[in-house]
Amino acid sequence: MKRRELIRTGFLAGAAVALRPPAGKAQNAAQSSELTLAQSGVDASKDLAAPGWKPLFLDEHQNETLIVLSDLMIPATDTPGAKEALVNRYIDLVLAAETPETQRAFLNSLGYLDGESMRRFKAAFRYLSREDQDILLHALAYVVNESRWTGEANAKPDVGHVHFEALKQRIMTAYYSSQIGEKELGWDGAFAHGPYAGCDHPEGNHK
Amino acid sequence: MNYTVQEPLQQTYDAVVVGSGATGGWAAKQLAEAGLKVALLEAGRAVSPKEFTEHMPGYKLKYRDHSPEVVRTRPIQKQCYACMEYNYEWFVNDLENPYSTPAGKPFTWQRLRVLGGRSLVWGRQSYRLSDNDFKAASRDGYGDDWPISYADLAPYYDIVERYVGISGAAEGNEMLPDGQFLPPMKMSCGEIQLRQRVKAQFGHTVTIGRTAILTQNHNGRAACHYCGPCERGCSTFSYFSSPFTTVKDAMASGNCTLITNAVVSHVNMDDGANTARGVTYVDRLTRQVKEVRAKTVILCAQALESTRILLNSSTREYPNGLANSSGALGRYLMDHVTGGGATGHLPDFKTLPDANEPQRPNGIYVPRFRNTPSSGKHSRFLRGYGFQGGADAEFNFSVEGYGVTLKKAVKQGIYGIGLGAFGESLARWDNYCEIDRDLKDAWGIPALRISMTHGDNEAALMDDAGATAAEMLEAAGAKDIKMQAKVEMPGMAIHELGTARMGNDPKKSVLNAFNQAHDVKNMFVMDGASFVSSACQNPTLTMMAVTVRACANLIDRFHKSEI
Repeated sequence: MKRRELIRTGFLAGAAVALRPPAGKAQNAAQSSELTLAQSGVDASKDLAAPGWKPLFLDEHQNETLIVLSDLMIPATDTPGAKEALVNRYIDLVLAAETPETQRAFLNSLGYLDGESMRRFKAAFRYLSREDQDILLHALAYVVNESRWTGEANAKPDVGHVHFEALKQRIMTAYYSSQIGEKELGWDGAFAHGPYAGCDHPEGNHK
Repeated sequence: MNYTVQEPLQQTYDAVVVGSGATGGWAAKQLAEAGLKVALLEAGRAVSPKEFTEHMPGYKLKYRDHSPEVVRTRPIQKQCYACMEYNYEWFVNDLENPYSTPAGKPFTWQRLRVLGGRSLVWGRQSYRLSDNDFKAASRDGYGDDWPISYADLAPYYDIVERYVGISGAAEGNEMLPDGQFLPPMKMSCGEIQLRQRVKAQFGHTVTIGRTAILTQNHNGRAACHYCGPCERGCSTFSYFSSPFTTVKDAMASGNCTLITNAVVSHVNMDDGANTARGVTYVDRLTRQVKEVRAKTVILCAQALESTRILLNSSTREYPNGLANSSGALGRYLMDHVTGGGATGHLPDFKTLPDANEPQRPNGIYVPRFRNTPSSGKHSRFLRGYGFQGGADAEFNFSVEGYGVTLKKAVKQGIYGIGLGAFGESLARWDNYCEIDRDLKDAWGIPALRISMTHGDNEAALMDDAGATAAEMLEAAGAKDIKMQAKVEMPGMAIHELGTARMGNDPKKSVLNAFNQAHDVKNMFVMDGASFVSSACQNPTLTMMAVTVRACANLIDRFHKSEI
């Protein structure tokens, strides 16, 4: 279990199965309504980069906010970040097909970010300076989830932190499931690296 | 290989086999190779290796496994981890294949209708049962013994294992008989530490999973190349699935006619005689209704589907379902209870997960250690459970914070460890399926109403499993241990068993010890429906062994003209 945890978790739900999507050439199966697009060999990895892309679900402000936010969450370093991975476009695609409840929950989280931004800095999140964006995100990311007086855990998790984590999970899923994300994790693109060697350490010493 | 689908001939076959999965494939192979003329019926289409997707990276999927089409057409099927954007067309369309459940008693029923059935996506874990299972009722007083013992089945386990290719390690465990194993897959550092510490502290065995995946070339199939996602198909046929093994053999014998898209509705009886005449099916695509005549009828459609066919085959003589003079048809539905276990991480182990490490499609197994001959009787519950699990370095997608630190922490990883239980589901009369008179599938065939709950014993098993899993992880040195002791919805194990059970007493069982209906001598049910108890081991290996044993008996008696 290496890279797919974010896409599909279910360790306790069934047999422990190692999941990893390895590379390979697209199969040329005949098109059929009874095959999935994947089984028909369709490669959709370039769809999001199509010229003239427009959001299906998000409005322009929401889309721009998501780009700014995702770039702060997973910035470009010596490797590309969420912006290059077109994380906003993938999230838009998935949200467009989601239930109204899920759509509402996402917009609520994004709206919360703008609300906090307006309250503290009098401007929507995407217009803040990089420094103020960091101040705001830091406050949401690292919440002290217990009473300062009693040390007891709060009965309710911090609302801002919950919204932050919801947005973060969306962005992480989108990033690490992209081709850029697979490279970020170090995958060489080959699908077979077997056989599995396992542990060959002397007994009791696994360093 | 692509099969040429043949039209049913105007002939009477020696046997019609309904279902082409793990057991149907074996029945077709054994009977056809013995010279019987066999019609093998499959409700779905043929399958081709061209549609395997195990080597397609996730980023090529339009929705990267969040496809709304899966949600729309497979809201139930997608509860199975193996039903993905890659392969969901193999699973039944829930809109076309309804079933009902009583209020407050959810049951998830995960099915495939395609050549090979669930053998295309199964978990592949393969364990023998022992007389602690077959004769459990004699030992603890609950339920009924199987009409067969381990000694009856052992030679057939051998046959199946040698053909299928099961990799595993012999352990000499009293609850888990050893078999004919290919070399075992290797264990990780964390798993070896768990094995050593659990043995030292509790005396329990931790072994590598016994799995129907080849670790060396075997019977014309290649060894596993450790790419990982078996449930999307295997271009080297390294895991066992019936289309490319047993069904292929059956076809090669020249004695088997495969009829795909044949949705069987019911068994037909001879006029004025207590013998089955064959089956009627609806062509899945054209909706034409056809009849296949055969001297013997063998249902291998999956426990609930085989029983549904019998319930839909009522006659004047059998008003409550064919071969149901006992009233046991549909009763004693079982599915292993899941939901107990624990996860944690091993801080002393090197993390830094390697995306290019071979992907072992297998975990570890802890055989049952409760209510065993050496452990003695447990005070709070009957029977027991086994654990599946694993330990390895993983990317850490639940890191705190954001930004550059997040990116680094994900790659720094975590050494995860976890155990999840599969517990015995006690056979209970009040867990059952029946025909829902108000509900029909897309082919007009009356659908099932499934009524099942896990009881107090199953809850106690999962409660104990959570505690013992946590103890074992602690012994291995794990930190941040999260214990789980809930009871998952019935059906989640995808190990449906019972509903047409075997037994020596025709008043209490549907089938005899050779899977032959007590009431209708030329009719057989050779799948999980025949199980008397569920044990806690993954059942497919036993289902196949039971089928091969039943076929040996059928062939012998067929040649003696007794059937």
